Amino acid sequence: MTRRVYLDHNASTPVHPEVLAEMLPYFSGAYGNPSSIHAFGREAREAVDLARERVAQFLGATPGEIVFTSGGTESDNFGIKGLAFARGRGHLITSKVEHHAVLRTCQALEDLGFAVTYVGVDGHGMVDPDEVRRALRPDTIAVSIMHANSEVGTIQPIEAIGRLTRERGIPLHVDAVQTLGKIPFDVHALGIDALSFSGHKIYGPKGVAGLFIRKSTRMVSIQHGGEHERRRRAGTENVPGIVGLGKAVEIRAREMAAEAGRLTALRTRLTEGIQGRVPEVRLSGHPVERLPGTASVLVRNVESESLVLGLDLKGIGVSAGSACTAGNVEPSHVLVAMGVPLDWAMGSVRCSLGRSTSAEDVDYVVESFEAVVRKLRAALRVGAA
Amino acid sequence: MRYSATVVDHFLNPRNAGMMQAPDGVGEDEYEGCGDLTRFFLRVRDGRAVEVRFQTYGCGPTIAAASVASELARGRAVEELSQVKAGEIEAALDGLPDDRRHAAEVAAAALRAAALAARARKG
Repeated sequence: MTRRVYLDHNASTPVHPEVLAEMLPYFSGAYGNPSSIHAFGREAREAVDLARERVAQFLGATPGEIVFTSGGTESDNFGIKGLAFARGRGHLITSKVEHHAVLRTCQALEDLGFAVTYVGVDGHGMVDPDEVRRALRPDTIAVSIMHANSEVGTIQPIEAIGRLTRERGIPLHVDAVQTLGKIPFDVHALGIDALSFSGHKIYGPKGVAGLFIRKSTRMVSIQHGGEHERRRRAGTENVPGIVGLGKAVEIRAREMAAEAGRLTALRTRLTEGIQGRVPEVRLSGHPVERLPGTASVLVRNVESESLVLGLDLKGIGVSAGSACTAGNVEPSHVLVAMGVPLDWAMGSVRCSLGRSTSAEDVDYVVESFEAVVRKLRAALRVGAA
Repeated sequence: MRYSATVVDHFLNPRNAGMMQAPDGVGEDEYEGCGDLTRFFLRVRDGRAVEVRFQTYGCGPTIAAASVASELARGRAVEELSQVKAGEIEAALDGLPDDRRHAAEVAAAALRAAALAARARKG
């Protein structure tokens, strides 16, 4: 049987066994609706409250500042539209390397008459706080910058951006889907007013996420109905999911520091291994300010999807930076914003390591990577005629 | 796996890949917007392709389509190859997902171009 190695933890992670164990009673045992006042409902309510406390503690927030949602995409929509709609009109600032959940939300706001500035990044994928400062206008109503980029792993200078927004009383939304539970931070120290996070990136279940909303931040709901989540997000709470997210966060609190060190070492082993054995390879993203387990590898003159397929056939799961959809190539908007030349950007592959990744896995990936690239390049590369 | 066993086989073991010295016809095609590029080399004797080689840059199905096209072209009349259709290549691959049909189109267009070049040279 082929060895199987999963290096796509930025896409999703397996549910931690302790998380699953804590969730299971809430499917068919304690199945009450948290809004019900009877004992069945109170049981579910207590579980949701505990999860909220765990998340709040982890973020340096209070439980009342945490709203649970259905996913990172909803959290980003809620955070940005919630801030924008509460102000009615005006100008927002975001960056060119955001997740599509942020970029397309901002584009939708443009369609509604809001103005948006998309600031660029440097060659390492980093936003310059000074560019954010220059983009500020008298009518700027919100700034949304991601904490770390899912594709290249660069961590943005949120603290410096937070100082700018706080000085001017402009709310700052941060998409922290890739950083919560991976690197330590405190929402207040960073000057964050709204922060999106998700469960399934940190060994919790899919379909549950959250938004931190700093107390007294003006924000409107984007989903209407019952009085759930202090009237901020209507809809019966996903109790098992929320329980799982709370447990996942609790586990990250105790495992995060040690795992960050272990993953950084494994990531270095991976990138040094690939660079040592495969010619014309380079790394993208910031060399130091980066997520511990994320490696973005650019392979010149190899098409990333063929590389992903070749690795898949060896039992290895990684993701392609550029995607070909119905014959239209979309080189990653992140690499394009970073100014990576097309012949490199087309061969971008992201390896994201996680709890289960071992040194043996990494060595197998290095060996397979070399074999697949050699094969793709040997006979197939189109040279000069 | 979203690809047929034939696609995977040709991707992993491409037939006739590589350049050709002094070919009688060379033709290439690039799929607009996608960057996939395939080039065929033909050696022609008595109006037939006796040797076919290719180079390609593209996703897995593009490599597989070029490989399978090189097999089905060998021994065929250049005249016939100048009209080869993507459907024949796709069928030889036991099908392609809808969003990868262009792989067969690139291979067919490159093969037709090589056949036309060989015919022009002859003429």
